[in-house]
Amino acid sequence: MRKSIILSVFLLISLCLLAACGDSSGKKSDGKVSQEVTYASTSDAAGLSPIDTNDSVSSNVTAQVYETLFIQDPKTMEVKPLLAESYETPDENTWEIKLREGIKFHDGSPFNAEAVKYTFDQMKDPKRAAPRASLLAPIDSIEVKDEYTVVLKTRKPYGPMLAALSHTNAAIVSPKADKEGDINKKPVGTGPFIFDEWVEGDHITLKKNKEYWGDPAKLEEVTFKVVPEMSTAISMLETNKVQFIDNLPSDQLSRIESLKNVKVYKGEGTRVSYLGFNVEKEPFNDPKFRQAVAYGINQGAYVNQLHGLGILNESIIGPKVFGYDEKAKNEGYPYDKDKAKKLLEENGYKGQKITLLAANRDNYMKMAEIVQAQLSDLGLNVEIESMEWGTFLETTRKGNYEMTFLGWANSTADGSELLYPNLHSDNIGASNYSRYNNPEFDKLVDESRESVDQDERAKILQIANVMVMKDAPWIVMEHGTVTAAYNESVKGLMVSPNGQWYLNNVSRE
Amino acid sequence: MLVLIVRRLFQLVLLLFGISFIVFMSMFIAPGDPAAIIAGPTASASDLEAIRASMGLDKPVLVQYLDYLAGVLHGDFGYSYQTGQSVSDAIISRFPNTFKLAVASMIVAMAIGIFAGIISAIKHNSWIDFSSTTIALLGVSIPNFWLGAMLILVFAVNLQILPVGGLSYSIFSLEGIKELVLPAITLGTASAALIARMSRSSMLEVIQSDYIRTAKAKGVKKRSIVWVHALRNAMIPVITIIGIDFGALLGGTVITEQVFAINGVGRLMIDAIAARDFPIIQGTVLLVAAIFVVVNLIIDIIYALIDPRISYD
Repeated sequence: MRKSIILSVFLLISLCLLAACGDSSGKKSDGKVSQEVTYASTSDAAGLSPIDTNDSVSSNVTAQVYETLFIQDPKTMEVKPLLAESYETPDENTWEIKLREGIKFHDGSPFNAEAVKYTFDQMKDPKRAAPRASLLAPIDSIEVKDEYTVVLKTRKPYGPMLAALSHTNAAIVSPKADKEGDINKKPVGTGPFIFDEWVEGDHITLKKNKEYWGDPAKLEEVTFKVVPEMSTAISMLETNKVQFIDNLPSDQLSRIESLKNVKVYKGEGTRVSYLGFNVEKEPFNDPKFRQAVAYGINQGAYVNQLHGLGILNESIIGPKVFGYDEKAKNEGYPYDKDKAKKLLEENGYKGQKITLLAANRDNYMKMAEIVQAQLSDLGLNVEIESMEWGTFLETTRKGNYEMTFLGWANSTADGSELLYPNLHSDNIGASNYSRYNNPEFDKLVDESRESVDQDERAKILQIANVMVMKDAPWIVMEHGTVTAAYNESVKGLMVSPNGQWYLNNVSRE
Repeated sequence: MLVLIVRRLFQLVLLLFGISFIVFMSMFIAPGDPAAIIAGPTASASDLEAIRASMGLDKPVLVQYLDYLAGVLHGDFGYSYQTGQSVSDAIISRFPNTFKLAVASMIVAMAIGIFAGIISAIKHNSWIDFSSTTIALLGVSIPNFWLGAMLILVFAVNLQILPVGGLSYSIFSLEGIKELVLPAITLGTASAALIARMSRSSMLEVIQSDYIRTAKAKGVKKRSIVWVHALRNAMIPVITIIGIDFGALLGGTVITEQVFAINGVGRLMIDAIAARDFPIIQGTVLLVAAIFVVVNLIIDIIYALIDPRISYD
């Protein structure tokens, strides 16, 4: 008995202690909100060097620390100079870029043409094995003309150059820091925030760059916290331990929207999710079969259960991507079950056995279930095979599948950068998972890449887009939205259609 | 005793050697390419080749394994494919969190489990026994992630008396203890239930034995019989359970670490498996194996201390 008394006294005391200090408002003693923001993401950054990483969690951090030569306006998606001041194209293969003067990296070394050359050379060096090296692959050489002028030469004209240079992985790093240390651990850039600390697997802290060349950031400190479980992150947002989360899952949206002190941002995104055929296999090599499937799929059934976090549009180049044309919306195969059945019948297909491969992450399993039900309605015999992401990537890359779901982030928001890697025959065995091979289409995509006249590029992309839609190696399931939920004290947060955000204009009130 | 310890440690080395070989080979047989995961779906074929070469993955498997072994003999367990962090650093920075969590949940489990088990054994077939065994059954059956999420909703979101997650303060501060409460309860519940059931049955057996009857006949006080004479003998199987549980907890507890955003070894291992981060997988598996062997050794020593009849000489 004595023990139980001791135990209950102990429990009572600890409860009192707990209750006594439960304050967590994040307010300073003078009543002002501290200029600090904590962002939660479900996984940790892979690294903090733009050269050595290629994932969105890493780029969330690097985008605050480093800067690119050009930047896409989050509203208009127009490309504007950032570290660059202006550029000229004396001929189709030459880009002469004038840089801003007087900018310093966080380690005090100067930002100049040498730094740009160094960064891009590293990016292209096979020994460095930059995961996003393909971004600068069209650039043949980088020359320093004078201290603040850099000249990029291409072998063939390269239309999406500015979009590529505004990609976060093309950010400029401090050559000194890269040579002397590991910028993947301790990043050094020119951006509005300076790296402070990284406890791997737990959090990354950035501090305000007081000597920033532009308008300095309003926030004093930013923390990137790893919270693997979305529902935990939402609880932290509710209790103001975290002020900002993004990539909201549709099944938790109603809970987030019901939180009192939390605002939700939803905007159209550049991401496209699609059902892809392996066009090297039967019967998927027959355009008639693919068209029948396209007629038989009602994307609306999928998009409707996303609670507004998905946009219905059958165009492969989406509304927020360069090369989109309003008319393309109606060039696909609208849902028509009878037409689909008729097409199958006319071409001698009956009860075909199809394996639908789905990675068990994102919304792919949901898509698979809905598509399975719809295709079964056409009399096809569809089986779902689900796979973990690592296995999935290897299997699909080798082409060991029939139909599957995938997405493309369109982070440069340029149609050429969607059509070339995914559907051009150059990339079969790599990022062209559908193994689509159409010489006429290839030619159009090449032209869209090799022209530097942006109006002409848009026209070519529009034609290529409709051509590939008609041929249907892909059936678009949805175009994505970008989302964020943040504490109402956070002001000035903007999320670009490609999901990227910058914190230099964010403050707390 | 010393002989036992030396022999066990020698076995441990052989065991780790065997495990490292099996793990290494199975990672290469299993599908999934670490380079493809690092590069993501956007990578071109040449990007992939370059990454593979930079990680040494283009060499034959056996050569890679021998390279690895040579490194291990020099105390170098390799570097993470994903982050480039050294494997020992990655584990050392996370192990304290896992250790704290394991100890805290074991304290919760033992305090509740042993106490409940003994009470229901003494009050055999009473309503106390009945409700305690029912709760124990419930404790074993409740899924971890659900319990964790519920505790967060009640204590962290609604009452706001405990933090939602994380483990970032020193254990010697109030904040540090507060952070541990919910995860320790979440993790300790299942163990507590197991310990309670084991203590109950073991205690029942002992109480019905002859020497307890003799003690009663001699007029020894009931409290003394239970807490001194019976408990000591009843504890042997319970300690086995505690040991196995504790070993498992030290190897990382993925779900609890996940739900409470704790940066521990379990999450390190699961993330590494998803990313095919071979050096980290190898390192964490070896750690778990070593912990199991050492914890079992400690249990064997405790047996001998509790029960003088057990001897290893």
